[in-house]
Amino acid sequence: MAAPPGEAPLTAATNIEPFYVLHKGGAAASSSSSSAPSLPSSGRARRRIDVSGPASPNPKPGKRSRDDDAAEDDDDDELYERLRLDAFHCVWSKIQSTINEVLRGISLKLFDQVLRWVQESFSAVRSIARPSAAEVRQPYPLLTDVICRKIPTAFVLTKNAEFVDDITTFRDLAEYLESNGCHLAKLSATELSEKNGVGCCFRSLLRQLLSDVPDVADIFALASWYSAAENYDQPIVVVIDDLEQCSGDVLGELVMILSEWVIKIPIFFVMGIATTLDAPRKLLSSEALQRLEPCKLTLGSPSDRMNALVEAILVKPCAGFCISHEVAVFLRNYFFKHDGTITSFISALKLACSKHFSVEPLSFLCMGMLEEDRENFWHDKFNALPQELRKYASGLPSCTREKDSTKSGDNMVDGLSELMNIQKDWSSVLLCLYEAGKHGKVQLLDIFCEAVNPDLHTQKAPNLPNEKSGTSRRFIDQVMDTIRYLPVETLFCLLEVWSIHLNGMDKITNKVKELQSTTISTDSVRITKDKWPRRSTNSTGNSTVALNDKVAMLLDDVTRKFLVSVECLPFHEIVCFKNVSILQSALIGNPRRMVQLDLVKSHKHLKCSCCRKNGIAVSASMHDTSIMCNLAQEYGDVINLHDWYISFDGIINSVHSKIKRKPHTSPSKKKSKPVAAESEAMIQARFCRAVTELQITGLLRMPSKRRPDLVQRIAFGL
Amino acid sequence: MALRGGHAAAAAGVSSGSEDDNEEAGFSRSYFLAKEKEPSSGKKRARAAGKLSDLNLVDEQVLRASLAEIPPKHEREVEALTRSYKEQYRNWLFELRCGFGLLMYGFGSKKMLLEDFASTTLSDFTVIVVNGYLPSINLKQVIVTIAEIFWEQTKLKRKRQTATRSQLQPFASQSIDDIISFLNNQTSDNGDDNVCLLIHNIDGPALRDTESQQYLAQVSCCPQVHVVASVDHVNAPLLWDKKMVHTQFKWSWYHVPTFAPYKVEGVFYPLILASGGHAQTMKTALVVLQSLTPNAQSVFRVLAEYQLAHEKEEGMHFSSLYTKCRERFLVSSQVTLNSHLTEFKDHDLVKIRKHSDGQDCLHIPLVSDALEKLLQELT
Repeated sequence: MAAPPGEAPLTAATNIEPFYVLHKGGAAASSSSSSAPSLPSSGRARRRIDVSGPASPNPKPGKRSRDDDAAEDDDDDELYERLRLDAFHCVWSKIQSTINEVLRGISLKLFDQVLRWVQESFSAVRSIARPSAAEVRQPYPLLTDVICRKIPTAFVLTKNAEFVDDITTFRDLAEYLESNGCHLAKLSATELSEKNGVGCCFRSLLRQLLSDVPDVADIFALASWYSAAENYDQPIVVVIDDLEQCSGDVLGELVMILSEWVIKIPIFFVMGIATTLDAPRKLLSSEALQRLEPCKLTLGSPSDRMNALVEAILVKPCAGFCISHEVAVFLRNYFFKHDGTITSFISALKLACSKHFSVEPLSFLCMGMLEEDRENFWHDKFNALPQELRKYASGLPSCTREKDSTKSGDNMVDGLSELMNIQKDWSSVLLCLYEAGKHGKVQLLDIFCEAVNPDLHTQKAPNLPNEKSGTSRRFIDQVMDTIRYLPVETLFCLLEVWSIHLNGMDKITNKVKELQSTTISTDSVRITKDKWPRRSTNSTGNSTVALNDKVAMLLDDVTRKFLVSVECLPFHEIVCFKNVSILQSALIGNPRRMVQLDLVKSHKHLKCSCCRKNGIAVSASMHDTSIMCNLAQEYGDVINLHDWYISFDGIINSVHSKIKRKPHTSPSKKKSKPVAAESEAMIQARFCRAVTELQITGLLRMPSKRRPDLVQRIAFGL
Repeated sequence: MALRGGHAAAAAGVSSGSEDDNEEAGFSRSYFLAKEKEPSSGKKRARAAGKLSDLNLVDEQVLRASLAEIPPKHEREVEALTRSYKEQYRNWLFELRCGFGLLMYGFGSKKMLLEDFASTTLSDFTVIVVNGYLPSINLKQVIVTIAEIFWEQTKLKRKRQTATRSQLQPFASQSIDDIISFLNNQTSDNGDDNVCLLIHNIDGPALRDTESQQYLAQVSCCPQVHVVASVDHVNAPLLWDKKMVHTQFKWSWYHVPTFAPYKVEGVFYPLILASGGHAQTMKTALVVLQSLTPNAQSVFRVLAEYQLAHEKEEGMHFSSLYTKCRERFLVSSQVTLNSHLTEFKDHDLVKIRKHSDGQDCLHIPLVSDALEKLLQELT
């Protein structure tokens, strides 16, 4: 296919051809013909080397011509963009690998269960009979006993209405089983569909197990493969991750075939179930069901996974990227109100991350947080910054708020180092809060959202009336309450965990240790005096009550001192993503609302002076489709084309009539008469085009043959 | 449009605060208001108020001619709007390189905007433009083209490195799944060998089916492939389920209304005032009838008059038509009548229906108004 030149005007061919190559990429073009595009890229590479060196001298502006400067600026822009892009890839790959690790860690318990079940089932099958290789290959069944025709099947309840979160879980499970010596195959819902039939399943099975698939994919091919010495001693596990989406007939057929052979070829199923345990009963025939020997396993709940994820990627200082309070609240609502899938939460976070690196010019400096010698890294980078960026750095709102100093370079390095330290304390304290909150069923995401709230810090005076701080400290207060009612044993365990989390914060660890020692002493008191020390039982459990209070007070104190939101710190803009509106608009495209808004309020986008002159809702100067859309608002779910046309005509002609000073009160048929026939054709053409455009946007459905005069409106309200 | 996922409905309700609830309440309120209006005003109006045929509609040719000459409105503002998007090009490129797909929406044709973006900013990419608004697109050809581009690139690289010659695999004879797995294995150490798939109207009529969207989703998550697409239909998000949105396409939405006319996108839609109304079918019927013999015209007239006289009936029995025609000496045998009727049927002038008594009957698929006009014109 011939590639038209990139700058060619839009000819008819490019519009009518289903697809075409607009231009070849830089690499392909420069290698096929060593022409122009190679120049800028080599220039860019040269510049890159310049700046990544430790101390590139600043360009002297005096000697340069203006063109040079402009080119230099462009080069700079490109260079820093590349740095930010690299930083994004580095940061995100770190976050992504953390996510993978956490998710795998959470599912590990289940994986172990599955593996143990596979091994038990395998030894059970082998205990019935141990056919020789030749027997396996024989075409008729070995045993006819019904009991021995059951396929061990593990139903894994995912507890997720949305399957999308479990894709990775089942992928990991498959990997885990495979690495532990099982033969593994995965069948997807598309393979187990009516369209493909059982033959396709077999082919897919064989493709995954055998190195070369024979032309005839049948059970004998599988049997002869399995009878080979190197394959014989392991079971075959078939993972079907989304049972509900499969075709019951095809799956049933597969079960019937395999069950005849289960003694010879030990194939076990692992099936993911999103709904309830009776899903297989609804899906499969009773005959096929009888051939399965079920075992029920359950995945961890989404909220467990969410807590672990939040801890690993948002609370623990991970990779030089964090989110502001507003963004955190948005993401939390997105998770709870939108669909509750971790996948969408992660993709939202990734989008936030990319937006941050795309919008924030200094965001690449976060790479320093991953470096050994971060202060030097920052110094070098700062010295290499062009003047404009330096100015930007010292003008960041967070540092102008604190203090303005001339030595902005040191200032920034200090600021960033301090930010890191404070963040570390912040996350330790937050984890302590969460550990305590666990006993009161508080979710980490909720506490996290409160802990990043900058208002928490500004109103931290301890004696504030409750109403004022009540809203912003709801979950933190709940944690405090939980501590006050904790039994001593739990309290003791809690203090133990705290001392791990607070490692490195010596002053507080000491206090915790102090409390721990009192716990031990009161422990003995408690046994003699009171079994259930409660705050309310004042007379007897005095010492323990005081202890609960003491722990709560310590936590309260620490919270107020160290739970400093990142947004209160200078230079936080470099690592903290704050712009919730761009995230929201990129994440949730809402064409239904926005396209209607575009049309109804077209003047807002076009910023013209003509359309909203007299406060009239619909004026002739507006975009035709916009006029039509505005007129359509007055109809129900069907629009009479004739009436619509007449009112459109009326609005268009209101300009003419004004000029002619003909008083027309209402748009009527007569009005269009004096206008020349040619312009009537034009109005009809404009009407047609507007209807077509509304049809393209999907706001309108064409008339049916039965009612040719009516079109149907589709979207209502904004 | 196929409904899957209900993603859009959920998406509409995501934002924080009570403002959201008001919005939703507003939405439902206006929906029910619109519903309420329908029986009282909508239908009555439809019956009482005028019909399209009352309008003095111009000829389709004239209409099409004037369509090409519609003077643009707000030319300057539209241009300024488009220019304002140019400033975002760098950000778009950045996000594309971050691994997201760009999805442009908002009123107005985005064809020029996206192609301008591609030719000015995506110079490092090989850009393949897919005109999704066309009613016929062979997605396999597109995927084959992508695979061939990668194949060429690897061939070039190999030439430079080891100078071994390898033959081009005939991608066209492979299945789409195989080609996609080939694409999935394409990795490159320098990020320059990327292909960008620029899809105008990924929600276009030919791409609206599940299969096409699945293939597009699979292609879009291949390592060296990036996707920039536009949607115009308000229900476009319903095309994708969560897996496609979050793990394959990875959309980053951009609201970019251009207010540019949908010139090429609208070509395939019928003009509402031309072919949509029965005026047009009446005219075509007239043209056909005028080309027939006077006898055939008279046979048609007999049928039409019967239909006008018996509007409630499903149509006229063949036997009664034959008797009537014989009475008037229009046909001499059933064979001649049949030949006339075949002619009518071939031109959709007459349809065969089941009568309530079980017999087949003949019916002219035109409303009474149009039929009356047709008879007038025919004389």
